[in-house]
Amino acid sequence: MLNRLFVEPFALPFMQRALVEMLLLGMLAGVVGVFVVLRRLAFLSDALTHTIFPGVVIGYLVAQEPGVVPGALVFAVLSAVLFTMFAANRRVSQDAALAILLTSFFALGVVLVSRQRSYTADLTAFLFGHVLTVDSAEITQTGAVAGAVAVALFALRKELLLRAFDPQAAQAMGYRVELLDLILNLVIALVVVAAVKAVGTLLVIALLVVPAAAARLLSDRLAVMTGVAVTLGMAGGWLGLAASYEASVHHGVRLASGATVVLALVVLYVLALGVGPFARLLWSRARGRLPPGTTEAAETAEAAGAPAAVDAGERLVARLAPDVLKLEEHGR
Amino acid sequence: MREPTVNPGADADAAGDVGGDAVREHTPAVVFDRASIAYGRVPVLEDVDGVVRAGHTVALVGPNGGGKSTMIKAMLGLVPVVRGSIQVLGRTPVRARRDVAYVPQADTLDPEFPVSVGQVVLMGRYRRVGWVRRPGGADRRIAAEALAAVGLAHRVSDRFGTLSGGQRQRVLLARAMTQQPKLLLLDEPFNGVDAVSQEALLSALAGLRAGGATVVVSTHDLSLAHLACDDVCLLNRHQFGFGPTGATLTSERLRAAYGGAALELRGDSVIVAHS
Repeated sequence: MLNRLFVEPFALPFMQRALVEMLLLGMLAGVVGVFVVLRRLAFLSDALTHTIFPGVVIGYLVAQEPGVVPGALVFAVLSAVLFTMFAANRRVSQDAALAILLTSFFALGVVLVSRQRSYTADLTAFLFGHVLTVDSAEITQTGAVAGAVAVALFALRKELLLRAFDPQAAQAMGYRVELLDLILNLVIALVVVAAVKAVGTLLVIALLVVPAAAARLLSDRLAVMTGVAVTLGMAGGWLGLAASYEASVHHGVRLASGATVVLALVVLYVLALGVGPFARLLWSRARGRLPPGTTEAAETAEAAGAPAAVDAGERLVARLAPDVLKLEEHGR
Repeated sequence: MREPTVNPGADADAAGDVGGDAVREHTPAVVFDRASIAYGRVPVLEDVDGVVRAGHTVALVGPNGGGKSTMIKAMLGLVPVVRGSIQVLGRTPVRARRDVAYVPQADTLDPEFPVSVGQVVLMGRYRRVGWVRRPGGADRRIAAEALAAVGLAHRVSDRFGTLSGGQRQRVLLARAMTQQPKLLLLDEPFNGVDAVSQEALLSALAGLRAGGATVVVSTHDLSLAHLACDDVCLLNRHQFGFGPTGATLTSERLRAAYGGAALELRGDSVIVAHS
């Protein structure tokens, strides 16, 4: 049974390629997502997914399929630079600037794509991706992006951590905070571009935010968080592909593979929401924290409180699952 | 230029106790030359003029919104000086950053952030560790010593946000100590801090002072300024006095700086109501 669900589908070459692509993306997005969640850049990442859309369309108009990634890349770099400049400017409110860039770029993309004869089909492919048709060249591209991003984040992990925690102190120490911000924005943009073909511009944000937000519920340690986010991202890819294959082939229900992967990630997130308090309890027991009842433990519980709502999606889930939150308080 | 020293007090110690003050006079830590600071076009602080002598502890005193934090940020080069100049350790504030440590108010930091006390203290070493490399054994030892100096060695692996406000403030002071600065800037470190943490902060500051470091601390606690500081800069939008604590904090000046919030007790003493 398990074999049929989780192994059998991937005997087919196109499913194998899809799996490899999703595992690579899950790993990549997990690592970068940790910084997205820590810096609360979910909205910025979402804006990036929209602002690269005209690049995708222009690339396609100029050179068909092979033009998509270069086109997206140009707009990704442009958006990352613009976002960093807006953030550094005191006079511009950042969320308004993001909203303006997001909508204007996206509208430009829609205007361009609407001139095409196959308007709806093309638009759907751009928005939702088609992981089942990725070829080995695209997998190589994703692998290259993953390598570059891994090197950049590994080299700058101290500085990015300091900047995320205490930007003013980072600046006072002599770090160029705008430069660090530009690098992280470029890294996020690269991930978005790498994932566009597979899951489309609308769902990339889920890959970036959901596994890392779930990992945040399970651990307070950055290293552990990163490991968990990567594992969940990859697991979500595997589960989602397997589920969409099972439903399509054996039950005659067509499930869009990219969207199913996202739903699988959200299921994992909800599980983490339930398991989180127990995992933390075990974790702190194992490290020999003070037993509950002392004033310090009370302070701890108060300071930790309910898990911080990282973005609107997480807040929504928190609202939908008040019992789980109550359980957490009980667990403490 | 001098060699960077590992021990913040090495310069002063080498000069010896007798000639120490004379040597320090020649190398002031901070020189304000009729400096005005502005955010955009709105001046926040005008005509600050005076000298922070090396090895001294200086209190920035004044009502909230009077420009204390702004003055600290100006010494870090984080806000622009629109007129006059500020020299830090004989350089521009931006160039002096490597020898200056800054202790922000602990409550400006996100308590949910997944970072341990030990990690926060170690951040003070990052600049010296350099890009790409991990902090080494020596860095960890320095961090452990600093954490012990503020009395929080036992909390090293706890999450930063689980500490009380005063304890977080002590962790941030420990982080600044690992930078082994020549000049230490603290923004309202005693705000909302309980007695135990205040005691720990003061004793750590006394240790730094004994080691020869220059300390500038903003506070609205006048008794602390009297107790722990050599000099005072009294501020409210502009400077009302800059010099030795006793001579500077006169009732006239306090009344001028605080306006209606200053209440005269008897003779020379003035208390300042919370504004």
